[in-house]
Amino acid sequence: MNTQTIQCDALVVGGGIGGLTSALELADQGYQVAVVEREASIGGVMIALSKVFPTLDCASCITTPRMAAAAHHPNIEILTCTEVKSITRDGRLFAANLMKKPRYVDEKLCIGCRQCEYVCPVDVPHEFEGGLGARKAIYVPFATAIPQKAVLDAENCMLCGSCEKVCPSQAVDYFQRPEEIKVQAKSVVLATGFQLLPKDSKKEYSPPGSLNILSALQMERLLSPHGPYGRVIRPSDGKVPDSIAYVQCAGSRDKSLGIPYCSRVCCMYAIKQAMLLSGALPLADVTIYYMDIRAFGKGYEEFYENAKAMGIQFVKAKVARIAEDEEHNLNVRVELMEEDGRVEERAHDLVVLSLGMVPGCNPEEFVPVMRDDDGFVKCASPKTAPALTDQPGILVAGTAAGPKDIVDTIAKAGAAAMEAANYMRGLELDLSAVTEAVTGEEERAAERAAS
Amino acid sequence: MTTAAEPANAKIVILATVACAYPGADTVGQAHLSYPANTYVLRIPAPVMLPESFYFRTLEKGIGGIIVMSCGEECPYEGAYHRFAARLDRVAVRMKKEGYDRRRIKLSAICTVCTKAFLKEVNEMNDLLKEIGPPRKGEVAN
Amino acid sequence: MPEEVQTNDQPENREAKEPQIGVYICHCGGNISDVVDVQTVAEEVKKIPAVKVARTNMFMCSDPGQEMILEDLEKESLDGVVVASCSPKLHELTFRNALKRGNHNPYLYEHANIREQVSWAHHGDPAGATNKAIRLIAAAVAKAVRLEPLKPIRVEAFPHAVVIGGGVSGLTAARKLSKQGLGVTLIEKSPYLGGQTAQLNQVYPTEEKAEDLLRMLVEEVVDDSNIKIYTGAEVVAATGTIGDFVVRVRNVPGDTSAKGIGLIEKKVVFRPFQGCTVRSDRPCSPGDELEVRCGVVIIATGFKHYEPRSGEYSYGESPRVITLPDLIKLLSPDGPTGGRLEIQGHPVRDVALIHCVGSRQVDGIHEPQPDGRVNSYCSRVCCTATLQAANEIKDRFPHVNVYEFYRDIRAYGRGHEDYYEKASGKGVLFFRYTPDSPPLVEKTGPNASRPLKVRVRDTLTFGEDLEAPVDLVVLSVGMMPNDISDLVDVFKLPVGTDRFLQEVHPKLRPVEMAVNGLLLAGTSQGPRDITESCASAAAAASKAAIALGKGYVELEPFVAQVDPARCDGCGLCLNECSYEGALRLTDIEIEGKVERKALVNAPLCMGCGSCAAVCPHRAINVSGWTLDQFDSMVDAIAAQ
Repeated sequence: MNTQTIQCDALVVGGGIGGLTSALELADQGYQVAVVEREASIGGVMIALSKVFPTLDCASCITTPRMAAAAHHPNIEILTCTEVKSITRDGRLFAANLMKKPRYVDEKLCIGCRQCEYVCPVDVPHEFEGGLGARKAIYVPFATAIPQKAVLDAENCMLCGSCEKVCPSQAVDYFQRPEEIKVQAKSVVLATGFQLLPKDSKKEYSPPGSLNILSALQMERLLSPHGPYGRVIRPSDGKVPDSIAYVQCAGSRDKSLGIPYCSRVCCMYAIKQAMLLSGALPLADVTIYYMDIRAFGKGYEEFYENAKAMGIQFVKAKVARIAEDEEHNLNVRVELMEEDGRVEERAHDLVVLSLGMVPGCNPEEFVPVMRDDDGFVKCASPKTAPALTDQPGILVAGTAAGPKDIVDTIAKAGAAAMEAANYMRGLELDLSAVTEAVTGEEERAAERAAS
Repeated sequence: MTTAAEPANAKIVILATVACAYPGADTVGQAHLSYPANTYVLRIPAPVMLPESFYFRTLEKGIGGIIVMSCGEECPYEGAYHRFAARLDRVAVRMKKEGYDRRRIKLSAICTVCTKAFLKEVNEMNDLLKEIGPPRKGEVAN
Repeated sequence: MPEEVQTNDQPENREAKEPQIGVYICHCGGNISDVVDVQTVAEEVKKIPAVKVARTNMFMCSDPGQEMILEDLEKESLDGVVVASCSPKLHELTFRNALKRGNHNPYLYEHANIREQVSWAHHGDPAGATNKAIRLIAAAVAKAVRLEPLKPIRVEAFPHAVVIGGGVSGLTAARKLSKQGLGVTLIEKSPYLGGQTAQLNQVYPTEEKAEDLLRMLVEEVVDDSNIKIYTGAEVVAATGTIGDFVVRVRNVPGDTSAKGIGLIEKKVVFRPFQGCTVRSDRPCSPGDELEVRCGVVIIATGFKHYEPRSGEYSYGESPRVITLPDLIKLLSPDGPTGGRLEIQGHPVRDVALIHCVGSRQVDGIHEPQPDGRVNSYCSRVCCTATLQAANEIKDRFPHVNVYEFYRDIRAYGRGHEDYYEKASGKGVLFFRYTPDSPPLVEKTGPNASRPLKVRVRDTLTFGEDLEAPVDLVVLSVGMMPNDISDLVDVFKLPVGTDRFLQEVHPKLRPVEMAVNGLLLAGTSQGPRDITESCASAAAAASKAAIALGKGYVELEPFVAQVDPARCDGCGLCLNECSYEGALRLTDIEIEGKVERKALVNAPLCMGCGSCAAVCPHRAINVSGWTLDQFDSMVDAIAAQ
């Protein structure tokens, strides 16, 4: 196995918007940064979103410049398809063992022309499209991916050899092996992000065989201008839905799932999606079943008021259960909290689950930091220095330390960068103090010898 | 390539300040509020940089209306707004002398979120142009 | 400051041959191409003689989009680039940087906005939108032909920051910057450090004592030899630009409170509900002034609580109606009752907590502030703070009945939901109201068991009218920005519709303001809690460290530039210039002859162009915004 060694000032784990922001802040301050991303492209969850609240900017327009800036920054090295195996303290430094998974495509040779994709005979559900669209077994991860390099999915590849034959730059390499990479860094920023709770976590909301209950991220893709269908239709039969329901707190504030906390973003993304749906399907009714609407950020309450004015229905209710009939129409059993808990069955064409955030990974598996009861990284000084973990020199950015929206993620990522810089500056000062002490001692020894 | 239904109005040039009015015009678009397409927004740091002759040259090229969307009193440049207002007064005097309808040049303050004010200015200028048509010297008695 | 005449490289043979421009039109994944026929636009634009190539792409801002430009610059030897896509505020810099990456001058670039100002604004008129896009791009091409390569102005950055505001945000920002070896001057208007955090007893969700948090922060700042502290001081004037501001600070007139407390050397004394008194480096006698030189200014001026109108929920009419900050004082051992929950000398038995007072206000229902606007925003912290208080009452005084009147419970943060859960478990009763029928606080008759009652139409029970007899009403008041109109004037700060300071972009540039070198921290930007304030303060410190750490800042070169060949030294431009030292007449020697010419001092010129308008010979122009460029753009728009 080839072993490559990288020396840098800061190792950023995670290439989503949080990790990229920390990396850019540190790199702009002059530090050398390595960013590790397990997926084939940086960009995280944000690059998959349609538009972002409350400005309704297109998510891609906000994310791509950051992705490009990081990718092109002279002080930043980006490692995609790479997982962290372990991070340990090594004297004054951190030693990280990384594993670069085989892409089966030589990154240096691939020109991103996608010829391989066009000839590949395999179709599999596309993860980036929430499984709604299809991709090939060899593919460029998505339109705005960075790097624009193909990746081969060995699990689904039939080894027919078509891609290798068509590749104009001989980049396909079926024999690529995992590579070990060793990193020496002065500080570590954990930006390992979040994942949405799996759609089938709550059995009351996931009847067997259901096709028309979507996760909010799937709806993001449907609403995206370059999404899987190019428009909003329901997966079962391609029908344009007339009536769409949002189920809030599906996997948040729910002790039965072990997720007692609020996920902070679901109210706002549901409102945003409802507004975008009203634009895309002016005739459709959109209903949001909620417990509390938590529109607490700058400009969010105003956004919520606009949504109400647009005619989106907000119903304070607990959703007890969702059923899907043979025609794949949905029946939502709701407890109407404004009517003393009266139970009603309501029909909808499509249901979107506003699923909560759970940690993107368990950092304890590879780095010696503590987690909190909620599974996210524990903050040592949550009030005054929210980016500190219990380990000096290991900082936390973004949703790795609990659910957050993009604005708060970016603020916290900036804070993590500042803390990392402070820590590294402290190392330098300690070192010069040690050197001075040693020099002083030597001088005194010399003086004593002279006298 | 104008719409066949009705003859298009003369064009409108909008001078919009970088700090306030230009992002204001963006906000109108972001809200997907609609206004006529004969409007051309030019970004400008401060309209004070344009000499009086600019306005007359623009009218001579057939542009029917000029809306200066400034930051008003919020102008980020010291003293520039007042110097600019004084210049527009001199432009008005010369318009009268040359027989231009003075309503063809309009000054307004537009902030970054002034969507309604933006639409009002654009629609009013369009209504005016519908009424008075393309510009020419001596169109009104001086 | 070193005087430097800006010398931009003269374009090589730019005049000799018609410059060749590349035009790139973005689909924006349908955002543009669903309305504008981008193919037709490309074909029409290609007909302009100066256009060498005109291409379209799904996402110009993506890596492949940018690569396409770089390739063409080489292969087609382009002299300038026009991208027609979204608003320049989003991607002008992206494309300039792309040019820079390819070793091309980033200022040979012009942007055409065909999304916000075309496709999104003319969705009902595809033909009109397409035509407009063509004319706007033609105008951009006309300007691109007349662009000149420019160099950024390099300004020495003075490695010192001024932080305005001594609350948790200001303290945090100051300390983080100092740790990077930068000097900091912290200016606080009041005699105390600690801001609004000093008003708290314990902070959610950690239940740490606010005093301990503050002490730790303040002691670190006070012990830090890189940080100078001026309390009882305010900023009265500021000059300069990023890298080199001069901020004038003076003793707050009429501030005598500091005298009573005395200046305490190196010892931090915490005064409950006031803050920490510290040794201050401030000028001592009233009216004293000093000037601080700095490279950046961080504004951390914080918030004040909404003050209910007299009569709003009987506030001001009954002494039994108080605000949440009042309740926190009442519950504190340092408070007026020593921590006993008493009002008017009697123990409280029933308390009503009313949420959203001065927050989430609705036009037409709530009375506006003097500026005519209501506080339509959510103040973010009041829900959890109110729940925290309810829990504390239930824990310490289990027999007190607690009623909460709310609209939505927004316990969004890590550990916040626990307070809600626990409050329900402890028997706090929740009633939900709508803004159009808020709770009514009324005095009761002489025989009533409690002096006040709260009536509400509870939406949780079929809109039933309910009544709670109480002896204390607590209003959860929202946040409003502190009155910093003086600073807004001094620094020309951008203010949003919510009256809080406005960032450039909430996601792309969240801690920067439109004026270079001015940064935002904490609640001056909008409601947030201590955690979020400290995060934003550290983020602002990071931006400041980027600006100051290198020792220089590069500024956009859009400043006045004199063409000595055209200038006849008449001096008309000087009369127009507002910026001292930016423009002067000087004798320069040209081919052995001494001639009087105007000369620009670039770092002081703000680029307003007042000078350009009055020059009879077009000898002075703002780089990147020349009058010839404007004329040519009008010509392109007027064509056809």
